[in-house]
Amino acid sequence: MVIRLPELGLSLKPPVFRVQPLLPLYFHLPIPSMSTTGITIGILALQGAVAEHQRMLQTLKFSGRGKIHVVQVRMPDDLAICDALIIPGGESTTIALLAKLSGLLEPLREFVKTKVVWGTCAGAILLSQSVSNAKQGGQELLGGISVRIARNGWGSQVESFEAPLEVTGLRNSSVPYTGIFIRAPVILSLRASPGEPPVEVISRVPPELLPQAVMEDGPDQDVVALRQGRHLLTTFHPELTNDNRFHEYFVQECVIPSIKS
Amino acid sequence: MSASPQVPQGAGNSAGSTVNAPTRVHAKDGGSSNLGTFGVKSGLAQMLKGGVIMDVINAEQARIAEEAGACAVMALERVPADIRAQGGVARMSDPHMIKEIVAAVTIPVMAKVRIGHFVEAQILQSIGIDYIDESEVLTPADEEHHINKHSFKVPFVCGARNLGEALRRISEGAAFIRTKGEAGTGNVVEAVRHQRSVSSEIRRVSVMGEEELYVYAKEIQAPFHLLKETARLKRLPVVNFAAGGIATPADAALMMQLGCDGVFVGSGIFHSGDPAKRARAIVQAVTHYNNPKILAEISENIGPAMVGLSIDDNLKGGRLAERGW
Repeated sequence: MVIRLPELGLSLKPPVFRVQPLLPLYFHLPIPSMSTTGITIGILALQGAVAEHQRMLQTLKFSGRGKIHVVQVRMPDDLAICDALIIPGGESTTIALLAKLSGLLEPLREFVKTKVVWGTCAGAILLSQSVSNAKQGGQELLGGISVRIARNGWGSQVESFEAPLEVTGLRNSSVPYTGIFIRAPVILSLRASPGEPPVEVISRVPPELLPQAVMEDGPDQDVVALRQGRHLLTTFHPELTNDNRFHEYFVQECVIPSIKS
Repeated sequence: MSASPQVPQGAGNSAGSTVNAPTRVHAKDGGSSNLGTFGVKSGLAQMLKGGVIMDVINAEQARIAEEAGACAVMALERVPADIRAQGGVARMSDPHMIKEIVAAVTIPVMAKVRIGHFVEAQILQSIGIDYIDESEVLTPADEEHHINKHSFKVPFVCGARNLGEALRRISEGAAFIRTKGEAGTGNVVEAVRHQRSVSSEIRRVSVMGEEELYVYAKEIQAPFHLLKETARLKRLPVVNFAAGGIATPADAALMMQLGCDGVFVGSGIFHSGDPAKRARAIVQAVTHYNNPKILAEISENIGPAMVGLSIDDNLKGGRLAERGW
């Protein structure tokens, strides 16, 4: 019950007793749950654009669902308390090596199997099933999304670009979202095997922006954002814009539904 | 930090405030007008944050650096310690050597040009280098002017000793700043001095009123709009790494705790007893900079560090940090 005094712009909330006082009070401390403690989103903080993701998440407001807690994940203990994880842009070889050295590789692989993960750029590479243009000797991947991906698909930094994108499902989706592509990977093919959740493409780049040296034939190399099951993948950097619609989409469409179910 | 510093643009589109700006990029003219924006230039630096950029002089060293977890390598013909020892004019490296390094690794490759030598920069851009360091470590080619970095698609990193110098470089188009330190000495004292100087100036300007900012901008010879943006953000408007004298994992963690976004390690790696081990330890130190327990573990048994030099008037090769105007 809320008593509103609109003239004064005030609303008074009478105190609510959640529990019957049958036991001593300390037995009735609130049990942590999503509704009272909010959502904990981890950002893999081994290397890369961590602060940028954190800043974007902190701009989000979700009434009634509590606060979003952001945790920088550097050790397995940090990961254990997360409801969802963002793997930021950075250098995927560096992030993979540091994950291995920090004992995070296996915990991350387990996390990907049960919880929501969003990979941006380097994070997208780590979530993919296989990678080409990898360093000599290959690199560790986490898997989780049934795509094949090529690192630095557009070439060196002088080919990095910005492009307006149409993204399905974004708030105000008629307003294009600025995709910032920095030495970005290119998705070579989508291949969900039977039994895996289907891949849902949510954004493609206009064909004239595709890399000039086409890496191999296929209809899906213009895909730059997709979902599969719980996960979200973008080959560009929503964290580098001041437009928080992608982070809002992630929390609203990926994280919250997964916690409810 | 804000991804879009208010910076005058010379190359590509404006990367000013992106608050309402998703439509600001026009892909007309074949979509080439959105290449090399300030957003993608400073964006690559943001991707390097929390990482270590290592000086290498050949493809073999570049591979060692990549395997050790470097987030980028810096190609140069001699590491700073050798430039000091051998003297002579230090120039941009042979493009053939740089191409070999580019072919050997998948991480970004940077290369140094002399201060003011815009033709060396044009050459590096044409061979597709990822970042250019307009560096005081090489012998300056111009004792008055720096390169106009806005007119390039390739991004630039520049050295700075204080806030004024950093903002002058950003106003010329640098998308990434490193504190200068004193390269090739293995002595972190100057890097600490420069980083402390930048952060203390930022703390001061962050509480200044606009009238005071006008005066202070004049004093430190920095463009007012960049100073105002720095005061608002309470940090430099672009990524800021430490450089010059970092030789141990503890040095790297020290610079991170002093507020740097990452580190450059020059001679410190390949002039040490066990480059691969030391490189990997420094990479871990930058990630776990706030965790002394891990720092202790990774500092164990990594072989002898490079021999350090004390920085005084007798320093062989002189004080490189004083180059830059």
